[in-house]
Amino acid sequence: MYSLGEYIECIVAIMSTRHVLLGLLAERPKHGYELKKEHDHHLPGARPLAYGQVYATLQRLERDGFAEVAETAQGGGPERTVYAITDRGGAELARWLEEVEESAPYVVSPLFSRVVVAAVTGGAADGYLLRQRAAHLARMRELTAERRSGSPARALAADYALQHLDADLRWIETAMERLADLRGEIDA
Amino acid sequence: MITVIRMPVRGRSAPERARARLMSVGAALATFLLCAAVTLVSFRIDTPDDRLWMFTEREPRLVVALTLALLVVPAAVFTYQASRLATATRERRLAALRLAGATPYETRLIGAYEAGRQALLGGSLGGVAHLAVNVVLWWSLDGVVPLLSPVWTLAALAAVVLAEVWSGLAAGRHVVASPLGLVRRARLRGPRAVDLLLVALGVALLAAGLIGKGRFPVLGKYGAALSMTAGMVLLLFGLVLAATWLIRAVARRAGRVTAAPETLLAARIVQADPRAWARALTVVGLTVFFGSGIGAQQGNVLLRTGLQPPYLTAYLLIDLALLLALVTSAAALVVHQAEELLDHRRSFAALAASGVPATALGRVLTRQALIAASPVCVVAAVAGAGLVILTGADAPGWSPGAFAFTAVRAAVMAGIGVLAAVLVARASRRILREALRPEELRTG
Amino acid sequence: MLEARALRKAFGRTTALDGVSAEIGEGEIIAITGPSGSGKSTLLHCLAGIIRPEAGEVRLDGRRVDTLDEDDRTRLRRENFGIVFQFGQLVPELSAVENVALPLLFNRHGRRESLRTARSWLERLDTADCADHLPGELSGGQLQRVAVARALAVGPRVVFADEPTGALDSLAGEQVMDTLVGTARESRTTLVIVTHDNRVAAYADREIVLRDGTVAGASTVGTSTAGAPAAGAPAAGGEATT
Repeated sequence: MYSLGEYIECIVAIMSTRHVLLGLLAERPKHGYELKKEHDHHLPGARPLAYGQVYATLQRLERDGFAEVAETAQGGGPERTVYAITDRGGAELARWLEEVEESAPYVVSPLFSRVVVAAVTGGAADGYLLRQRAAHLARMRELTAERRSGSPARALAADYALQHLDADLRWIETAMERLADLRGEIDA
Repeated sequence: MITVIRMPVRGRSAPERARARLMSVGAALATFLLCAAVTLVSFRIDTPDDRLWMFTEREPRLVVALTLALLVVPAAVFTYQASRLATATRERRLAALRLAGATPYETRLIGAYEAGRQALLGGSLGGVAHLAVNVVLWWSLDGVVPLLSPVWTLAALAAVVLAEVWSGLAAGRHVVASPLGLVRRARLRGPRAVDLLLVALGVALLAAGLIGKGRFPVLGKYGAALSMTAGMVLLLFGLVLAATWLIRAVARRAGRVTAAPETLLAARIVQADPRAWARALTVVGLTVFFGSGIGAQQGNVLLRTGLQPPYLTAYLLIDLALLLALVTSAAALVVHQAEELLDHRRSFAALAASGVPATALGRVLTRQALIAASPVCVVAAVAGAGLVILTGADAPGWSPGAFAFTAVRAAVMAGIGVLAAVLVARASRRILREALRPEELRTG
Repeated sequence: MLEARALRKAFGRTTALDGVSAEIGEGEIIAITGPSGSGKSTLLHCLAGIIRPEAGEVRLDGRRVDTLDEDDRTRLRRENFGIVFQFGQLVPELSAVENVALPLLFNRHGRRESLRTARSWLERLDTADCADHLPGELSGGQLQRVAVARALAVGPRVVFADEPTGALDSLAGEQVMDTLVGTARESRTTLVIVTHDNRVAAYADREIVLRDGTVAGASTVGTSTAGAPAAGAPAAGGEATT
């Protein structure tokens, strides 16, 4: 099932780390360790960013001219290097934020397949749907509790997950009613 | 267009049909009374007839005609209140028409059409009833009572229908505001300066009538009576409307100190819309005003001249008319209470659901009546008695006994007025029980 | 603590409840869900003693509720229950604080004390600045929080909420639910919520799913993917664990 972490990973994969780091640099120049900490804070539940990945991404940003080294502290080492966003980087960030996300083809989800198959084979579908509903709702309870106790960033993530689960549930409800109608037609 | 206007008339609900019938009754009563007053004025004067001295001698006849004409006022107010009843349910249908593209003007026409239709029905009945009574009297009293020309009946009918159409146009104002059903009534509409203007105008007309007694510039002695009548009516309307201030002040005071939730609810509801109460109490106030004024007159005359049978008969008749007015005005109050309960049915049903007994909510109704009616009745009683004492200052011999009689009579009239309002409120508890049904709690 | 057995209720020819049983424990938070017309509100009205079922029984602490006459049920509701509706429950002419104080006044608590208690409840529910406003001047979310304060002010044993967020947007609804559920848990008040919104149902420890007037299913805190009771199982048993 969907855990909060899994959802966040989806978000992060879509957003791409490059643009997240650019976004964080837009605030002010930062060094690598700072960027990693802020990334993990703003996207809680996501897999923590490996330090190597931060460094590699920063180097790629520098190569593309989106970021530059602003200041290198004595003793060298990447952890002391402070990066700043360039004008080109700012333009790239703006372009990315302007872009519309492609509407995801949700119908290929395993949940959908399972319900359709259950409906086609008949009989067990109703029981399955109720159990699925119970499972979804149990997860939603956890998310609701997390949202109450967590930081604003965590609440955002929990909302995202909750509303998707809610969409699933509402679809399940429609499916149950539709199945009942179908059965009525067959019986008649 | 005609089809659209007539459509809503067919799809009426039970309360709307009841409202329509009430409007017809009011129109019938108004027409009958108007015709009767006209007939009375056209009596042959100074025909010696002992049985009918009241109607044939000039002064008593004027008093009776005046009383009849004044009785039209409660009938009219009653009809207006009836046209307001069930607007809540009607609004929804009319709002649907608005959504379907009817212009505000067209929806108001529908209201006017409905009102006019009922007025025509009821008014015709009233006119026919009057003609019947007229014919019987004319035949049985050897022509002392003249046959009223049908032109007059038609004129009275036209006046009543026009007044109703106008009130129908006015009652459609909420719907005109918004096609989206939920129309908030304009609350907290305070007293207006026009109210005081009415008082001033009334006093002026009254004074003109009194000073110019017998040598009035227009219409001679009838003009003086007319001016006095109009003055009194205006004065009273003004007083009752100005009583809005008083009602609100009393309600605010009661709401601020009470520990009884029933009183708190009653006071706040009255305070939020004192004008509606003042309007509904107009006729009660009118009755108390005249009752108290006539009481003062009676006190003076009776204590000066002793008990003379002809006077007693006249006074008895007048008191009977007052009683009739009071009953009519009580009906107008019932309509007001019903309208108000419609507004509150949801919050009251919620209170009942959370364990407030229906009897307690019933007490809210009676306390509202107390809070609103007391100031109006007291003001009306004092004004009525005061007016007679002041204007009759030139009349001989106001004995202390007459003053005492006047005071007691004024107090009794005020008491009767308040009592009528409270009794109506108690009677409205049946409507309350309807409003408290759990069905009102349904969502959506 | 609150128990319903084989409830049956019809309105005219429509059967609203057709043999519904439910058991609700002290301090539990229960959601009654189901599509519209499934009998949710009717079940709540029966449980709260607002209407009487045609068959079956309702018990509070083992004492029959449904057989009591109107006066006794009214008293029972006043002493034990608080109720929150979707909208329109506040008296429009009373200020927020007076609305909250109203049930206290009806319980003869005295004016000063009632108003003080009401004000402190409004403070507790973060609506202190609404206290002296009329309902017409408040937003939907504020109105519902005032309504929650009114339901809780009398210290009821059970609070019934009928679509408490039905007229609100997501965020305002969340605030109202956070307030309602948070306060209910603090004071160990039992809470019964009727809703068609899954996100509201997710606040409860347990849900009772109604369909066509019967219990279609139930789910409890901690049920894993496979562990939920099968369709048609009675909604009894789930102990609150959070």
